[in-house]
Amino acid sequence: MGKFILRRIFQGFLVVLGVTLVVFVATRLVGDPAKVMLPLSATDQQRAAFEQKFGLDKPLAEQFVTFVEGLATLDFGESMWQRRPALDVVAGRLPKTLQLIAVGLGLALVLALPLGALAAIRPGGFADRLTVFGGLFGLSLPQFWLGLLLIMVFAVTFRLLPTSGYGSWAHFILPAVTLAIPATARLMMLVRSSVIDELNQQYVRTARAKGLSFRQVLFGHALRNAMVPFITLAGWELISALAGYTVVVETVFAWPGLGLTAMQAIKHSDLFLLQAIVFTVAICIVVVNIVLDVAYKLIDPRIKLA
Amino acid sequence: MMTIKTLLSRVALVAIMAWPAAGVVQASEITVAVGSEASTLDPQKRDDGGERAINDNIYETLMARSASGELVPGLAAAAPTQVDATTWEFKLRPDIKFTNGEPFNSDAVVVSVTRIIDPAFASEQMSYFGTITGAEKVDDLTVRIKTSGPDPILPSRMYWMKMVPAKYSSDPKFISEPAGTGPYKLAAWTRGQEVVLEKNPDYWGDAPSIDTVHFRFIGESGTRMAGLMAGELDVITNLLPEFVAGVPKSAAVQGVETSVIILSTENDVTKDERVRKAMNIAIDRKALADSLFGGYAIPTKGQLVNPRAFGFNETLEAYPYDPEQAKALIKEAGAEGKTVVLVGEAGRWLKDRELIEAVGSYWETAGLKVDYRIEEFGEYLNQLFDKNHRPDGVFVVNSNELLDADRETSFAYQAGGTATSNKDEEMAEWVKQARVETDVAKRKALYAQITKKANEHYYLVPLLNMQDIYGFSQRLEWAPRVDAKLLVKEMKVTE
Repeated sequence: MGKFILRRIFQGFLVVLGVTLVVFVATRLVGDPAKVMLPLSATDQQRAAFEQKFGLDKPLAEQFVTFVEGLATLDFGESMWQRRPALDVVAGRLPKTLQLIAVGLGLALVLALPLGALAAIRPGGFADRLTVFGGLFGLSLPQFWLGLLLIMVFAVTFRLLPTSGYGSWAHFILPAVTLAIPATARLMMLVRSSVIDELNQQYVRTARAKGLSFRQVLFGHALRNAMVPFITLAGWELISALAGYTVVVETVFAWPGLGLTAMQAIKHSDLFLLQAIVFTVAICIVVVNIVLDVAYKLIDPRIKLA
Repeated sequence: MMTIKTLLSRVALVAIMAWPAAGVVQASEITVAVGSEASTLDPQKRDDGGERAINDNIYETLMARSASGELVPGLAAAAPTQVDATTWEFKLRPDIKFTNGEPFNSDAVVVSVTRIIDPAFASEQMSYFGTITGAEKVDDLTVRIKTSGPDPILPSRMYWMKMVPAKYSSDPKFISEPAGTGPYKLAAWTRGQEVVLEKNPDYWGDAPSIDTVHFRFIGESGTRMAGLMAGELDVITNLLPEFVAGVPKSAAVQGVETSVIILSTENDVTKDERVRKAMNIAIDRKALADSLFGGYAIPTKGQLVNPRAFGFNETLEAYPYDPEQAKALIKEAGAEGKTVVLVGEAGRWLKDRELIEAVGSYWETAGLKVDYRIEEFGEYLNQLFDKNHRPDGVFVVNSNELLDADRETSFAYQAGGTATSNKDEEMAEWVKQARVETDVAKRKALYAQITKKANEHYYLVPLLNMQDIYGFSQRLEWAPRVDAKLLVKEMKVTE
């Protein structure tokens, strides 16, 4: 196990390095910060002065060396947009995104398991139809529209919650629910189909014949076996959220997280900030992946950690 | 019909959250939403709306403008005088202090000027101060600013340069703990969320009526609108025309932005003046203003120069809308069915894509084919600034913060200019002369000449002067300014 984790950490390190290098090249190919950041009326000289200040006038090879040297000391340079170290900007924003994901996905996990199991107990029954309908409904709502709709209902019409922003726990509710609804729908449908599958297995009939109650079979066997695909999808939800699913929610709710900051970095062609963000997100995703692998092993000892 | 139970549960919810209901807010506290986040509070580094909205209330400039755009003395005691062709002398108001205790005097002005023009500082505002070479102290309250050549626009430039304290401005803390001479000072800055300003008790001018102002950063227009409707916000900027009916109060004012399509005088189809004329008279500008912008835009008067700017030509008329003549001209020029490339972008300016496509469809009605090239912003800028390959038509929204015709003429009129597509050397010469002509009447005459010639040769397709639309809460009273500055000291609340 220990050896396995060490190997995965090493592989993860290579992945982060690879992703960061790709971003270095990609940002240099598309963005021209001097054009995007300076007013349209700026002269060529002013743009040249700006490029000189940020070292963008140097040959790509030289910029790359500077970048790699910085990477070694976790120095991504100064964000052109905020004019302070890029990693400082990221450090201020990452926790807010992680909090939002924790509350939003936490809510989704707590709701999806019982709802999915409830639907699976009697396929085709009323509870099943209701959850399947709800699930499809939740899947097909555009998140952007859903966010605005929740704001209109709960913040504007009833004035129960703030429309946007960050600060109190009340600020968490609407963005977390907006993030949770589609995730809950996806997870719930998966739990439902996995449990239905398990309940039709030979071993369930054997267990029931031996006199175990339906409840014992459901919770002791079927749900536990349904956990492997469930954790895979939950991990996937977490990775998607980290990799940018939160952008829409953060934009609608003016949530000062990393997703919104990434959008602003792109808008301003802030290469240094973008590199710092991608690097940080890549690390988060690698960590999540390692944790998932270990979780599989704990749930199902038959899984080989290769 | 609300049952007692739901009523109780709602009341309980509100009580638990201790969420201030609308109307319980302090009379002298307001919340303003701006579309982009303040990136730094150093007033000389960046050039963006989020930073400006806040710093306009903390810092001041030597020259200021009235709400209608007239240049008036600010921190200067009077308008500057010219010592010689390249030297302007400013007398400063006495007894003014920065909020950190430093005096506002000649030293502060010298530091402010040298700091912002230092290439190593890489200020994004350099495009406003390109002519300035330095400043020198005459005495404590007299200072001279030097320019590389004669610069009639210098007084207007000094309305854009914020004055920073001589010593403290070199402190690393300065970017997050500002100190200005203005009516407000920083109370709190929660990065990415809001900046809170409070009244500066030692302000030298009239005391503002609002004690505290929160600037919140909300990029999404629908969310800003919701915040206003929920009673959380008092002022929102860039209100969409279609939302005007839904807000408690709104106000619009002619802004500094004008949309235009710059035509190439060299390319195959557009080098024929008849085609360029047709491209201008084929467009129903009034219909565009009314349908796309709900009437919150004004058809241009045959020129790109902002109506409030020095050098606006009063004698020019708007290009008429004459689709029949446009068709006839295209036919006569043998351009029927020929393709013109129209380069633009989407999402940077209000309804840009819609405007580009609407104009293109007018041209197609007149008999041309239009090849729309809606590019990603960075790529679009590459094409806008490409001096070797000018597109047949390139769409841009020009912004004239200094309210001087030099901005438009050097940007789109002068051959070899930032985004110009004509090769009219004579006109370029006039633009250069106007830039250094310090005699006001002569300078005005030059701009009249430039705008008239460009109008007669159809070098540009000027479209609409945009209006800035603001949404207000019921209790807020304010008349928006032409320069789009959010000056809280001019605002009042009625409770």
